Amino acid sequence: MPVSQSCLVCQNIDCKSRGSEQLAAELQQKIAAKGLTDVDVKPYMCFGACQEGPNVVIYPEKNWYAHVKSEDLDDIVAHLAGAPHVQRLDTIDSSLKELIYQLLDTGVF
Amino acid sequence: MEGILFPKGVVEGREGLKEYQARGGYEALAKALKGSPEEVIQVVSDAGLRGHGGAGFPTGKKWQFTREAPEQPRYLVMNGGEDEPGSRKDRVLLENLPHLVIEGAVLGAFAIGAGKAYLYINAKYETAIKSINDALSEAKAAGYWGEKILGSNYDLDFEIIAAPHNYVAGEDTAVLEVIEGRKPQPRQKPPFPVTVGLFGKPTSVNNVETLANVPRIMLKGADWYRGFGTKDCPGTMLFSLNETEDVNTPGIYELPFGTPMRHLIENCGGGMKDGKKIKAIMPASPSSAYLPADKIDTPLDPNAMRDAGSMLGCGVVHIVREGDSIVDELVRITEFFAAESCAQCPACQMETKSLAMLMKRVQQKQGNQAMLDQFGKLLAFNKGKGFCNLIAMPGPPIESALKLFPADFQALLPNA
Repeated sequence: MPVSQSCLVCQNIDCKSRGSEQLAAELQQKIAAKGLTDVDVKPYMCFGACQEGPNVVIYPEKNWYAHVKSEDLDDIVAHLAGAPHVQRLDTIDSSLKELIYQLLDTGVF
Repeated sequence: MEGILFPKGVVEGREGLKEYQARGGYEALAKALKGSPEEVIQVVSDAGLRGHGGAGFPTGKKWQFTREAPEQPRYLVMNGGEDEPGSRKDRVLLENLPHLVIEGAVLGAFAIGAGKAYLYINAKYETAIKSINDALSEAKAAGYWGEKILGSNYDLDFEIIAAPHNYVAGEDTAVLEVIEGRKPQPRQKPPFPVTVGLFGKPTSVNNVETLANVPRIMLKGADWYRGFGTKDCPGTMLFSLNETEDVNTPGIYELPFGTPMRHLIENCGGGMKDGKKIKAIMPASPSSAYLPADKIDTPLDPNAMRDAGSMLGCGVVHIVREGDSIVDELVRITEFFAAESCAQCPACQMETKSLAMLMKRVQQKQGNQAMLDQFGKLLAFNKGKGFCNLIAMPGPPIESALKLFPADFQALLPNA
């Protein structure tokens, strides 16, 4: 099945130091366990919100989850399966979101 | 031409103590010690000496701020980090004229009332470190630093610090972090080092070339110094024309401020190799705007360069040849800044990495017009962010290239 959504997980120094590598691996497992074959997990270099990391951006849907912890992943996967987006993790400033979404829209990643 | 740092008759190679003394070496120090520190600051201010490390801040003013800061003790730091790619001017001074540099540092320390001065030198510069170390031994034995210098009541101690050689390690507050034993990461400013610097105390951080100008200013006077250069920017500067092998005689050249850039490239540099034409000139590589070839007569002074749309920085003049791709240049520059961002400020990390990624895509013919539009948006969004100026550095090269050479970018778009 073609990929319809990508979970971009920041893998820059700050987010990594907050456990983003492990987080990406766990997210991958939970997505597989849920049978979401059209969703993949990809590393991303930096979203510019290190202080709010680890950051996970769901694209092309354009939902940005910040301060993501292991215990948040079930809610994120539920959202990917059709549940409403996880409001408590949606804390990023709208101007930064717009800049990054525009960048992603160019097809750069 | 008579120079300030390299006057006629100065020996080739390393100048020892006797040779330096034979041309008036350390006489400026003896003269200064008979007067007051304030007099040194006054002469340097009257001369109009500005920092030669890139920012061009008036040296007399920096010393005055440091001297007037209420905290004690005060420190002088000589910044010989010299991490700009292509810059060799400080190394040339440290290796060849160590006593001129040391006398300048003693005069600076005396002016601000410092009891200790740190000589921060790029760790790769092994010959320069040895040259300064040997000169310090000679100068101490001769009474030019240590306790009761030349019989005065002024004491000064020196310490050499081998500097890490990443780009931000030359930023003045990162220098202070290294001397305090931490990683080279810039501090948030204000406060500025003149009030809260090394170990939290007032500190003047001065570039090697800046300090090397001081002995002759003290000895020959402000009016003599003002005989070089322009009214607004007196003196000379060491220009590094050596980053590429594109000119016939690359090297370090001392020229008065205001000299037309053509003189540096055609007379000093011997013109372009193999008769190649110039496509663009970057007067302060790697972080200034490109100038088109027809600006070759722009005077080498900070104001004229600003008026022409670029800057002078620390004088690393880089030439792009006709036929060379400006995008290849920008891939090199953006990857340099992405790698050199110290990872402290999120905005700098995101901006420098995104710019490098976008430029690489364009170079690989995987770009599109929307990607070209992102450069300006990323730069505008991040303007004024970050602790140091690195975040602003990729901007002028990219924006000037997009404006001057749009065809270079368009030719790489897949539908071109």
